[in-house]
Amino acid sequence: MTEDDVKTLDPYVQWIVAEARRPVAVDDAARRRLLEALRAEPQPTRRRFDWLLEPRRFALPPLATAALAAGLMGIGVIGGLVINRDGPKAGRPRAEVAETPRLPGSIVPRAVKFVLIAPQAARVAVVGDFNGWDVSANPMTTQGKDGTWTIFVPLHPGLHTYSFVVDGTHFMPDPAAPLAPDDGYGHQSSVVLVGGSSL
Amino acid sequence: MSMTRRMMAVLVLSAGAATAAWAQDVSPAARELDPLGRLSEGSRYQIELILDSARVAGLPTAPLESKALEGISKRVDGRRIVSAVRMVFRSLRDARSVLGAPATPDELNAAASALRVGVTRAELAHLTQIRRDRSVTMPLVVLSDLITRGVPRDTASQTILQLWQRGAADDDFSGLWRGVERDIVSGTDPGVALLNRAREVPPRGPSSQPEGSRPEGSTENRNS
Repeated sequence: MTEDDVKTLDPYVQWIVAEARRPVAVDDAARRRLLEALRAEPQPTRRRFDWLLEPRRFALPPLATAALAAGLMGIGVIGGLVINRDGPKAGRPRAEVAETPRLPGSIVPRAVKFVLIAPQAARVAVVGDFNGWDVSANPMTTQGKDGTWTIFVPLHPGLHTYSFVVDGTHFMPDPAAPLAPDDGYGHQSSVVLVGGSSL
Repeated sequence: MSMTRRMMAVLVLSAGAATAAWAQDVSPAARELDPLGRLSEGSRYQIELILDSARVAGLPTAPLESKALEGISKRVDGRRIVSAVRMVFRSLRDARSVLGAPATPDELNAAASALRVGVTRAELAHLTQIRRDRSVTMPLVVLSDLITRGVPRDTASQTILQLWQRGAADDDFSGLWRGVERDIVSGTDPGVALLNRAREVPPRGPSSQPEGSRPEGSTENRNS
């Protein structure tokens, strides 16, 4: 706004403009007091980790975002593999209530010899509660051609139920051991009491 | 929320879900460690319920799991497996009620088998009330076998009970079993074979078999 413009204004407004333009005289003593008061104010302190809490803005291009997410996914999968390495049952608690209270000496496995004479068999295995009834767990071997199939299996002391499997499909009880009752599967099994008298 | 942030949130959640999924069960190796996983979902559920009931009742779960695995190995359908496991569970529970809390899992298992072949609870109770300081596993194993081989239940129960009362040891029962089995194979009537062989068992005093005496070395099952 020029001086000519001011002159066209209302006189009262002209007075206000003149007052506003009038230089302010600051007393030096007052100025000094003001500066000293400012110096006396404590400096604002900045704690070491305040920067972590300060809001920030950042932007990532979509490609970088996808790469970051894929990395996180990979970490998740690797973590799952590590956790699952020992199988799902590794960390599960067993039912303590049903465990056998045995003397320390009675927990040592003993080698039990299983024998079956089956000259016609191409292969024979022994299955039972000691190997989860897994046909592939304890294959028996034969020496010579007399058809005597044998295997030593380490068994914990106690009562065990088992059966022979001839040629992968035919389940048969041990002719040299007591029978277990048939519980509806149509095949009889045998029992052996390890740690007691041999039967 | 910007598109980028939304995308990141979804993918971070996906990573977490993937971790949880892997931690549960997915790998074939893990499935191998869970043989009951070969059952159908419904049968598996029923078996798990029975196992839980056994745990709550303080019964051994090993015979139940073994029965289920036996059925799987023999390729029996799931319903029959559940039925068989349930039968074993009931017999274990009955055996527990007769034998009481001190019974070992082996005794319970043998008693459950005896009940399943027809031995009555009264006969079982009578057997276990005598000389409770010794394990009844062996006499019960032999008793179940004899009944399974055709010896009349009454004859088998009374004979085993009498031998047990006379102090027969595990070796006596195993010898008896061998003799009877041989006679039956030779054509002798099972009941007669048992009575004849029982006469050969010598009477023994209460201290004839010290507590805990067990033969050492390997056990051999030979069919010769």
